[in-house]
Amino acid sequence: MKILHWIWILIGLGACALPGLLHPRPRVHAAESRVTWSRQIAPIVYRHCAACHHPGGAGPFSLLRYQDARRRAPQMLDVTQSRFMPPWLPAPGYGDFADSRRLSDEDVDLIKRWVESGAPEGNPAEAPAPPHYDATWQMGKPDLILSVERPFTLRASGTDVFRNFVLPYPLAQTHFIRAMEVLPSTPQIVHHANVLIDRTASFRHQHRTNWRDGVPGMELEVDSGNTFAPDSHFLFWKPDTPVLVEAPGMPWRLDPGNDLILNMHLKPSGKPEIISAKIGLYFAEEPATKHPMLLQLDADSELDIPPGDRNFVVQDELKLPVDVEVLGVYPHAHYLGRVLEGWAMLPNGEKKWLIRIPNWDIDRQSVYRYRAPVLLPRGTVLHMRYVYDNSDDNIHNPHDPPVRVRAGNQSTDEMAHLWLQVLPVHVPRDGPDPRLLLEQAWMQHRLERRPGDYIALYNLASASAALGRYAEAATLYRRLLSAHPNDARAMNSLGAALERAGDNQGAEQAFTQAIALSPDTCDAGYNLAALEVKSSRFADAEHQFRDLLLHCAADAGIRSGLGVALQGEGNAAAAREEFQRALDLDPENFTALYHLGELAIESGQPEQAVDLLQAAAKDRPDDLDTREHLAMAFAQSGRAADALSQLRDAIRLSPADASLHALLSQVLAGSGELQQAIEEQNQALHLQPNDPDGWNNLGVLEARTGKTAAARSDFEHALRLAPDHAQARANLAHLPPA
Amino acid sequence: MLLLLCWLVPAAWAAQPFGTDLKGRPVDNLAPSGSRAVVLFFAASDCPISNRYIPEIERLAREFSPEGVRFWWVYPNPEDTSQVVRSHDAQFDIHAEDVLDTDQLLTRMAHATITPEVAVFVPSSDGLREMYRGRIDNRYVSLGQERPSATRHDLEDAIRAVLANRPVAKPGGPAVGCSIVPRNLP
Ligand code: HEC
Repeated sequence: MKILHWIWILIGLGACALPGLLHPRPRVHAAESRVTWSRQIAPIVYRHCAACHHPGGAGPFSLLRYQDARRRAPQMLDVTQSRFMPPWLPAPGYGDFADSRRLSDEDVDLIKRWVESGAPEGNPAEAPAPPHYDATWQMGKPDLILSVERPFTLRASGTDVFRNFVLPYPLAQTHFIRAMEVLPSTPQIVHHANVLIDRTASFRHQHRTNWRDGVPGMELEVDSGNTFAPDSHFLFWKPDTPVLVEAPGMPWRLDPGNDLILNMHLKPSGKPEIISAKIGLYFAEEPATKHPMLLQLDADSELDIPPGDRNFVVQDELKLPVDVEVLGVYPHAHYLGRVLEGWAMLPNGEKKWLIRIPNWDIDRQSVYRYRAPVLLPRGTVLHMRYVYDNSDDNIHNPHDPPVRVRAGNQSTDEMAHLWLQVLPVHVPRDGPDPRLLLEQAWMQHRLERRPGDYIALYNLASASAALGRYAEAATLYRRLLSAHPNDARAMNSLGAALERAGDNQGAEQAFTQAIALSPDTCDAGYNLAALEVKSSRFADAEHQFRDLLLHCAADAGIRSGLGVALQGEGNAAAAREEFQRALDLDPENFTALYHLGELAIESGQPEQAVDLLQAAAKDRPDDLDTREHLAMAFAQSGRAADALSQLRDAIRLSPADASLHALLSQVLAGSGELQQAIEEQNQALHLQPNDPDGWNNLGVLEARTGKTAAARSDFEHALRLAPDHAQARANLAHLPPA
Repeated sequence: MLLLLCWLVPAAWAAQPFGTDLKGRPVDNLAPSGSRAVVLFFAASDCPISNRYIPEIERLAREFSPEGVRFWWVYPNPEDTSQVVRSHDAQFDIHAEDVLDTDQLLTRMAHATITPEVAVFVPSSDGLREMYRGRIDNRYVSLGQERPSATRHDLEDAIRAVLANRPVAKPGGPAVGCSIVPRNLP
């Protein structure tokens, strides 16, 4: 009886588990259409599977050799029929993506026919050569390799782990990055990884004690600091695209003091795994010429999903203020997301799909780049619509039984984000930075949805200030402060906006309040001191700067500010000392170089002044004062030709600056070019006719060329404007009688 | 499903051993005296889902071995030679009783088709009675469909039921993982 059982089981098992092997293969295909590994399947596998399924790759096994594939044939059939492999979420026809992994229906069918016909090899000579994979850097040795500080041990089992590793950028120069490669050390357990740029090292400062070990968390927020440098690139790593190469002209920037944060989604493998990821960076020769920006639609505030709800819908939309090309898209939700959609409604009424994911799975999330940029004219409305399933039918539901879920950073909270990488196009030459207009539209929209949105209000105010709309910015900062009266940073920004709007009194009040709110922060104190310098209250400024020296980190700006205050008080020696200290801290500090140069001219050391001012001009080539002083220094050190070329450059930058023409006239006179000197002085007086010195100088030049009558009338002109002008009176007296 | 009837198989198979251990010695008795239950864990060294269950099987073994539950790690695939399994054991720090299912007798006996998959037997006077076969828990719903963590622990429940002489519930869903590779491929 037991034996009988055995036989029965054998047949039963065969019939259930291996239908393809026991059922007769349908004979519909003629012999020549036989599907073989060598002819049809290897090319499919090498193109669509091998990037992960090679020895050491992210896939669990290699599919490079026929023997490997034959063994896995039944599974290959399963996973391609169900479209579990290759991993690819977007529905076809809803956005044309460059990196689409989706198999065509024909390929799926070929695999089916191959497996069902016994997975034959065919003629090995017909098979293409398998692709070659290397465990090292695919683009050769990177220009800079960053490694996580301490290897992290992932536990053997349990839920997935999200961990953030901080990799400080160690260089003292800015570099533009044309390509990045992540080597995660154990690709099989890294689902995906995001690299974020933390411009202010804020995350590291938030986690002072533990950042070296990596910080747990699925989502993170970083502080982008006080300059407008919007996120611009998706730095998203997935196992089959280890190298991220940016388009020509579009490298991304890394500045001294920046951190990279590697945000990894890790899957326990069954044994403890050690992760010691490395990031390789390849430098671009040239800075970026095109400046994309990441825009986000979001509906987080609407996320309040009742337990059991299978069809919870949230939406968002955003109207574009400028023409853009969409380069890529990154939809993001957590475990309850089911259907994720994004599209654009063009001003002409046309609907353009950007993406549609009918069966969201956070484990297989990705950035999707368009094969060709999607042009969206200004006035286009971007839309997102996400559907969530908070029932226990949703197997991804992290709660059993389901509970009410709202937005948040934990993996058990939810999110509704649609990120787009856009490149502004058709940008008018003299218009504002189009990214500021995008930022403004985006933040305005966020505020309409959530009037109390702190970040939106702050960013909108900053964008207004950057667009030169200081009064508007001040209003927004005031609004922010009425909700957050103790926000020292907003108070300081209010002061800066008011100062720019010309309200020095209001500015001073705001800076003073900001200092009171947060005595330890140095920005407001610095701004106040600088304002005092500007309004020539040098003693107050000196006092303020000295105060900053006591509790702020050594800073070249504070030192040079103190120098300016001292110089204003007439204490040149002490000023010089402070400028020198500033240069010890930062050899390129502009203020110190400029003012030391000025002091050198005043103390008759023009050669030294030339060196200092040349260094200053290198830092700020467009600064007219610097060029003017440099020209003076050249002239004093007998380098008339250099002085002339400085001044001519400066005049090109600012043709209507009378003092430049006057200075040029003097240098020309000094090198004997009297006729040209007269022309330039005339030019200066044309721009600034009420300048008695100018008329006096013109008179001198004309007297030297023998034009006595003209000279006389010029001196008289000067005296009409300034009856006490001693020089003009003396010059007039020296003229030979008419 | 017909296969969920209780099958009766001999605990010791006189004519042929069930398989071999890593030293090549025959394994012919799955339930030495004192065993109250036998668990076969069908595993494959290169199957990621199977590997992810190693800590869970070890946990159950730690918990139930003292109560007379005998755990066997069964390797049915032809690639899993004694050398491969030995290095896999070392890699994953596994200290267990391995059986190489060289003729896939155990696979057929338990009707296993997937790794990871488990079967629970109780010894009786006339052989081993199969009480449970299928998934370990419900973390994986199908290939690519995975819960953040398991909410039903089918194998653990089955062992507890067996030890308490209670009826054993059927698995709540299919086993998910890598197909067992047949040994008789052309
Ligand atoms: C982007 C990387 C990637 C690509 C491309 C890819 N795979 Fe996979 N594949 C994986 C990973 C990762 C797993 C393991 C799944 C898991 O861990 O749950 C896997 C698992 C599998 C499995 C086993 C499923 C199981 O767990 O038993 C098969 C079979 C498979 N892939 C076949 C293919 C085929 C065929 C292709 C091409 C048509 C392909 N894969 C393309 C990454 C990839």
